[in-house]
Amino acid sequence: MTLQVTGLSKQISGRPIIQDINFEWAPGEIIGLVGRNGVGKTTLFRTMMNQYVPETGHVAIDGEDILNVPSRQEQLFFIDTQYNFLSTYRLWELPRFFGTVYPNFDGDRFTKLITQFKLDPNSQYRRLSKGMRALVNLILALTSNATYIILDEPFDGLDVIVRENIATMVIDEVADQQKGFLISSHDLNELDGLSDRVLLLKDSRLIHDYNLEEVRSRAKKIQLVLNDKVIPDVLKAHSQLIRVSGRVLVVVITDYTPAIEQELKALKPVLFEELPLTLEDLFRANLAHDTGYQLLK
Amino acid sequence: MFKNRLDQLIWQRHRRMLFAIGAMALLGIVMIALIALHDVTSDHYSRSLVNAVTMQQWAPYRGIYFSGFSVWLMIAAWLAGLEMMHLDLRDNFNQFLFSSGFSRQRIYWSKIKVAFLTLLFIDSVTTAVQYLIYWVGTPSGYTWHIGWPGILSSWLFGLMMSFGLFAISWFASLIIGQEGPLVVTIAGFTFSLGGYSAISGNIVRKLTSLTETQIMWCVLTFAVILALALLIWGSALYQRLSLEHNGEYLMFPHLRVPVYIVFVIYVTFFFSWTSDGTSFVLSLLFTLLFGYAWLWRPRLGEQWHQWRERKRG
Repeated sequence: MTLQVTGLSKQISGRPIIQDINFEWAPGEIIGLVGRNGVGKTTLFRTMMNQYVPETGHVAIDGEDILNVPSRQEQLFFIDTQYNFLSTYRLWELPRFFGTVYPNFDGDRFTKLITQFKLDPNSQYRRLSKGMRALVNLILALTSNATYIILDEPFDGLDVIVRENIATMVIDEVADQQKGFLISSHDLNELDGLSDRVLLLKDSRLIHDYNLEEVRSRAKKIQLVLNDKVIPDVLKAHSQLIRVSGRVLVVVITDYTPAIEQELKALKPVLFEELPLTLEDLFRANLAHDTGYQLLK
Repeated sequence: MFKNRLDQLIWQRHRRMLFAIGAMALLGIVMIALIALHDVTSDHYSRSLVNAVTMQQWAPYRGIYFSGFSVWLMIAAWLAGLEMMHLDLRDNFNQFLFSSGFSRQRIYWSKIKVAFLTLLFIDSVTTAVQYLIYWVGTPSGYTWHIGWPGILSSWLFGLMMSFGLFAISWFASLIIGQEGPLVVTIAGFTFSLGGYSAISGNIVRKLTSLTETQIMWCVLTFAVILALALLIWGSALYQRLSLEHNGEYLMFPHLRVPVYIVFVIYVTFFFSWTSDGTSFVLSLLFTLLFGYAWLWRPRLGEQWHQWRERKRG
């Protein structure tokens, strides 16, 4: 059972927003989608959900194009945080809509979770705080019992307690391998603890599909203190610079080999320390061009 | 009320507004009926609320005190078309519909089905109330006698008109994404139809020897065919509706040039049908300029702002 996105491209006002996006997604996976602001993450979701008509490409579930077999879309869930119809409705009214569209919608669980998180069923969605809305969105996503759930910036502007709640619920939900999540977020630390796989969007294209475990087995993040301020050739050739502070360099080497290690040690650094590699490091390393870090090289 | 899942969804979404439209129509009809029943008592020439001769003709009945099919029901159909299509766009319900497991074709025709069934219900209930008011409330010494020819013709006329008005507001709401311009566009188009029906009536009168009633039915049948064509064209457009255009004047940018051409021809002929060549040229120039500014307005607006910013330095 998989969801396949094949050659998806979308232009808005003649400008390509996403181009030739290809990936597969299976239940049990939590995929992070990262990229800079305006790179097309939300457009990708909206196009996947048939809200935007793509120029090319399609989304298929188990090989069936969702445009040809629309009922397949019942397995796919997404609430647009910016444009949704929920504003004027009260929380108790929402299951009527979602229950009609998602045949496996669990109304009892919805009520239970609303009570558990001390949300008033009589409240109008638009009267809720940002955090509460995010919680309601997640509750709807989980209780829809859709196989593939898309969450767009679920941690945006939320306090630590709500973040933890959301993260815990997501992890619990994939435990039985029946559901998959595709989460876009700028909070890379949060995503780091959740995702097994990360898709990186850059210049409207999907430039990397990382399996984090695999990447971590090959890549290293190293903090070095060198004797002078000149960046050695070995680092220029093999590493991406994350931070420079005087003679202290923090670098990510995506393909770390014993040969590179030997070359680095031959420089006789004052300090040579391996640091935990985070998703944020990978993001910085890959988008170094955009962040201006390459200038320091 | 509806057994089909999709119909239920559409009904859940629109029932409040459709109820409101129904309530408005009912209120309007009750008010008109009560005013008519009051006014007839000061009429010293007639003791009947209905003209018995006209009522027996196969033509829609519209008297001073009584109409076989109220104009409020036509307004209700016009509003329902606007509401059913535009509100889903404005309130982002389309996002939900398009992401649901229903095909767009099914969604489109289900919305029409729910709208038509509800309108038919509204028509029946409000007309029953209207007739009841006349039946019960006719003052003593006055009569209210209705006949099948007048009533059936009125209903046929009313339903055809309602269908046409629904199709106009429905189709316009599908292709226009901005609320204010949408209302202006539909209102202008709807009001101009009165003039156009007179023009087409004149043409038919000159070309044929049909009676006034026959001409009316011909024009009306032609309007219904056009309305049907609009609904079918709308269903094809709905398939390609991409929501990134939400909030733009035209939801389908490729329609800009065809809309411009139709607008220019339609308005120019409307204003200069019986006029001389000068009026025609002036109307043409006006519509060319106005249409261009209206349809390409965002770009013109942007250029205006850029020019002002440059001037400010």
